[in-house]
Amino acid sequence: MVRSKAPSKKQQKKGIDFKKIKRKLGRKLPPPKNATNTEIKSKAIVLPEQSVATNKEGLAVSKKGLTLKELLQQSSHHNAKVRRDALMGIKDLVINHPAELRQHRYAVIEKLRERISDDDKVVREALYQLFKSEIFPGCAEDNQGLFISLLMTYIFNAMTNLAIDIRLMAFKFFDLVVQYYPPCFSLYAEKILQSYEDILRKNQFYLEDKGKLKTTLSGLVRCLSLLPSKKPESEKSISGDRIIHAFEPDTPTANTGFSTIIKKLKELVLVLINCFQDFIPLLNSMPQLDVLSFDCILSMLQSIDIAVRFFIYGIHEETPESICDQTLSSALSKKLLGVFPLYPKHHLSVKEDDRYFILNVVIAAIFLHLRELVCPSANVFEKFLEFIENALLGTICSSTRSGKATWEKHIPLLLPFIPKLASEVQTGWQSRILESFTWTFKDCNPESSLKLACLSMIEEMLIPRGYMHYTKASDTVVLDYQTVWIRELPLLLNLLGDKQPSSSQVVLCLLLRLGQFSGSNPFLFGEYENIQFALSEFYSTCQEGNLYYGPFMRLPRDCQELSICCLYYFSNLNVLLLKSLTFCCLCSELEPFVSFRIIEVLHAAYKAGHIQIVDHISFFMTLLSRFKILPESICPVRESDVKVSNHGTFKSLTAMLCSYLSQMGDSSVVFHIVEKAILGLILLQPPLENACAMLRVLIVLDSKPTLLSEQSIIALSNFLPGYLMDVVHCIPEDDVQTWRYYILPCFFMFDRSSKLLKLVLDVIGSFLTDSNLSLPSDTSTRYATDSLSRINATISLLLLIYKDVKVRKIISSFRTEIGSILQSIASLQSSEVKMTLEERHRFQSSVLEKHFPLVRMVGNQPRGRSSFVGNIEKKYRFS
Amino acid sequence: MNVVIASSSIDGGIGCWDLQTGAEQLRYKTCVSPPHGLASIGCRFLACSQLRDPSATSGHVLYWSWSKPQALVKSFPAEPIKPLAANTEGSYIVGGGSSGDIYFWEVATGRLLKKWHAHYRAVTCLVFSEDDSLLISGSEDGCVRVWSLFMIFDDVRQQQASHLYEYSFTEHTLRVTDIVMGYGGGNAVIVSASEDRTCKVWSLSRGRLLRNVLFPSIIDAITIDPGEHVFYAGSRDGKIYIAALNAESSPTNNYGLHIIGSLTDQSKPVTCLAYSAEGNLLLSGSEDGMIRVWDVKTKNIIRMFRRSKGPVNNILIVKLPYSLSRAESKVQASSRRHEISLQPPLEKYANSSDEDLDNKAIITLPDMIDLPSYLSSQLINDHIKQLQQQGSSAAAEMEVKRLKHDGQRSMEMFQQLKKVYDNLQEFCVNELLNGQPMEGSKGN
Repeated sequence: MVRSKAPSKKQQKKGIDFKKIKRKLGRKLPPPKNATNTEIKSKAIVLPEQSVATNKEGLAVSKKGLTLKELLQQSSHHNAKVRRDALMGIKDLVINHPAELRQHRYAVIEKLRERISDDDKVVREALYQLFKSEIFPGCAEDNQGLFISLLMTYIFNAMTNLAIDIRLMAFKFFDLVVQYYPPCFSLYAEKILQSYEDILRKNQFYLEDKGKLKTTLSGLVRCLSLLPSKKPESEKSISGDRIIHAFEPDTPTANTGFSTIIKKLKELVLVLINCFQDFIPLLNSMPQLDVLSFDCILSMLQSIDIAVRFFIYGIHEETPESICDQTLSSALSKKLLGVFPLYPKHHLSVKEDDRYFILNVVIAAIFLHLRELVCPSANVFEKFLEFIENALLGTICSSTRSGKATWEKHIPLLLPFIPKLASEVQTGWQSRILESFTWTFKDCNPESSLKLACLSMIEEMLIPRGYMHYTKASDTVVLDYQTVWIRELPLLLNLLGDKQPSSSQVVLCLLLRLGQFSGSNPFLFGEYENIQFALSEFYSTCQEGNLYYGPFMRLPRDCQELSICCLYYFSNLNVLLLKSLTFCCLCSELEPFVSFRIIEVLHAAYKAGHIQIVDHISFFMTLLSRFKILPESICPVRESDVKVSNHGTFKSLTAMLCSYLSQMGDSSVVFHIVEKAILGLILLQPPLENACAMLRVLIVLDSKPTLLSEQSIIALSNFLPGYLMDVVHCIPEDDVQTWRYYILPCFFMFDRSSKLLKLVLDVIGSFLTDSNLSLPSDTSTRYATDSLSRINATISLLLLIYKDVKVRKIISSFRTEIGSILQSIASLQSSEVKMTLEERHRFQSSVLEKHFPLVRMVGNQPRGRSSFVGNIEKKYRFS
Repeated sequence: MNVVIASSSIDGGIGCWDLQTGAEQLRYKTCVSPPHGLASIGCRFLACSQLRDPSATSGHVLYWSWSKPQALVKSFPAEPIKPLAANTEGSYIVGGGSSGDIYFWEVATGRLLKKWHAHYRAVTCLVFSEDDSLLISGSEDGCVRVWSLFMIFDDVRQQQASHLYEYSFTEHTLRVTDIVMGYGGGNAVIVSASEDRTCKVWSLSRGRLLRNVLFPSIIDAITIDPGEHVFYAGSRDGKIYIAALNAESSPTNNYGLHIIGSLTDQSKPVTCLAYSAEGNLLLSGSEDGMIRVWDVKTKNIIRMFRRSKGPVNNILIVKLPYSLSRAESKVQASSRRHEISLQPPLEKYANSSDEDLDNKAIITLPDMIDLPSYLSSQLINDHIKQLQQQGSSAAAEMEVKRLKHDGQRSMEMFQQLKKVYDNLQEFCVNELLNGQPMEGSKGN
């Protein structure tokens, strides 16, 4: 419209006024220069953020509604604030959607690693927090190697940045990486040490910013502690069901690269020493040792300590001598050991004392490591010895509670050197060092880790490892202290109680080792024997008739097992200890398994000749006679109270003791020893179960023509009738199994000695005479006390005897005795006058019921009926 | 012929039965052996340490020849010896003393070649490895140690090393009761049993604990099956437990982890076990004096031997040389007796004057047997000297051997000549017989 008109006008004008313009037909004119473009173009506008309802349904977003991709894009925004917000956003998103991180972790790392050398401090800090709190924990189980290698290039880059802040931050990042992926250090060890060295050389900064220096140094300490060392690490873990002959691939040892870094490490140590030296004047000028500078110095010293340890004990090809050459050893001895001990110039607070103490302890530890390499002069050595003595005695540290805590925490650093020092220094110092060590051992808290450290040192000094060399008997100084330590052990056990089973276990282990070792050393042998008295308190004590159980009862199973094993090694177990063990075994709270184990080990000790036979047998007898059966009634165990009852336990105990006794050697000799003891006990009328157990022991040891002496047969014949009647009275008739268990021992005895049977029958007969029946309280039976039940029991008993084929055969030769018993029963019925009618009725109904079959049985003997049977039957017919 | 030999801690002699037929052989008299105290010295004769009483301060070692019931040689070591072991060939005897020392004797001379302090407490069992280069000892203090004989006799290396043993396993808390070794030389496994109710499996190559098997009772004897799939553990509760060495067992079984079954028949404690690869038989000795022979596959008892009343505490399965197992004529018996009487008793102390002499071992190259034999150079020197003087029995024996060899060669030569002669004769006869007709025919 406009466009088309305008050119035509112009054309006309031009054509008239000016020269003619050639015009080609069919062509449009170029637009005029001043033409306004009025064309309207339209494009679709996509605004995903603004349409709330549609787009972000399935996507994980941060609080501000940004997706991970956007956040990552924003993290490289030129505005520091936006970058930081993006990082915060990522953190926020990852917390809410952990899966998102797992899916895109490589993308995230690749983007975020650029920020490690970010110019802005706040951004770096945010990044650090993000890595620390989310990304590393989130990616812990992944293939970390790749992950770390992505990061490391940027970290190294940052470490060489010009800005010191960025460099320091890079170290902080590296520290974080090492925490989550320790092998990373060994991969880049050389480069890392170089970086540390470079940064520590810049000595102007650390005097200014100690906080940063502190974090850097603590990172260094962490790195160095990853250096491999030869200290024996016990690998006791055996996986349960692994196949024994399984192929085990040679795991590539991560330590292979460490030989090369020794040179670097040496330089680093020199730098650290210089660093330390720079700090010293500062300390003197400062009014007091503040926390930051203390931490810095401590980290430095710890780094040196670790490096030195690596030089000496580490796994590498070079010898310690070649590493600690002139430069290093002179630097160490002049600049580090020369200033020892550090002490406060102004002496202001107690806290400061403790700090100086810690520093000195570390320096002393370094010195002790290096002692053989630097060959210190006598003066210096003396100085250190003096410090060690005082440190052990606790005189340097403050007496406040925190001081004590520091002392307990840091003394273990010095302890590993004690055995070696004590064996090498001159006698005067030896006793001083051992004295102070003993003081430490006694003084420290039983539950502390210091105590454990002391214990392991004691083990080392008492039981030499490796090639066996013995403490010479002439070495009286050492022996005195050894005595003190050993005597302390059982007391310590009692003191520990059951509060800390792990500590008790350590003590018990030491005791066990001591026991095993004591066989070859006469001095230790005697001392170990003496422990018994103190140790009996660990099990139980008996004071004025009251029993007190020791910590043994309450310790976990493995500790109990250890303490039981200790018993085996006493070459002469004394009666006191045996007594307290007996009380433990008899205690119903102790698990049966443990008490069986005690008996088992004691028997093994007996076999090895460590217990007197008399003591051993009386131990067994006490167990049998004093074992308390719960519940007390003899009634057979019903299903419901199996849990409460310990009948089963006692049965297996009896079986166990019987088999042990029969293994003890010539059984006739053992029998004579046991016989006397058992008869003594049996006459005291023990409960039926215990009596039965003792009878069982007798028959196990006895042989076919009985070995019982005349006296014992008489004694038994007085006891057995009561026992038998009680058994019959107490156990219901249908429970044949229980019956057999209790009565069988008697049958065995009858089988072996017919005389005993005759006497027993006589006594049973005499029970039934009138005069005895009228005495209501006869002591020979415990349960079947009244006359009615006694008669009842007699009849049941005779029935039982006749049911057993073997015994019936034996008893057939005692017709007269049986006959007289039956007769007296029968006559009792007829002549019962004192009873009331009702009683009489009950009596007859119950007795008759059983009496007839009995009489018939007796009558059915092969020889036919005898006259008295006929008489009895007649009598019944009358009544 | 495989025979079963069993001894006891109560005097009843050493019983001896044929494993195949069950026939009882000679009973060797007056023997009171501690556990692991019975050893067969290279199948040539029997040796047994004697201990009447566990706390006795002296004991002795007896030798029996196979053919005589009476002990022939009695030696008195410096202290009571409990376990005895000999290498396969029977050239050395090792004894464990009650103070923890180990004694190393040469059988042929009776010399005490070495004595060293091995344990803190009495040695309870000794086992040689398959190739006789390692000795494994168990002790009352619960320690199991592995000794290399090369190290024991190498004074220079000994001074350098911090300890004499190769490994020291201290995980057992109580007395070690038995040790067996698997197959495979340096890669073998060792199984040790202890009074702490456990058996532990150790790796010889890696020197560490591989498996810990907890049993319901104390294990007194173990033996390993030739396939090394399982080991058998005889316990004090009378059962023989079967514990897995290879298979992974389900933890839900009755006895405990790794225990896959048991053989039961008796209530008396099992005191010793032996495995006969011929016929896959397991032999168990028990406290009641019986020796039971089990078929491992069916888990049934197939035979029982009854020793006299005392508990059995050692069983050995010995393959007797054929000549011995035949009914021996009196001549043979006397010659045997002659041989055994030549074994000198074991010396009490190491002879200090001998120390100066070289006691290197000479390994003679094997001619008849597969294994090289180790003899101390001094013994060889003696033999040479005797040979030169032509006086001694060894020399005479060698002379006899040489003569026998000569005789054999003469026989061979004789045979050969005879054959040649026969051939010649046959040829002549043929010639004669054939010649005539030929001649005749020619004539014709």
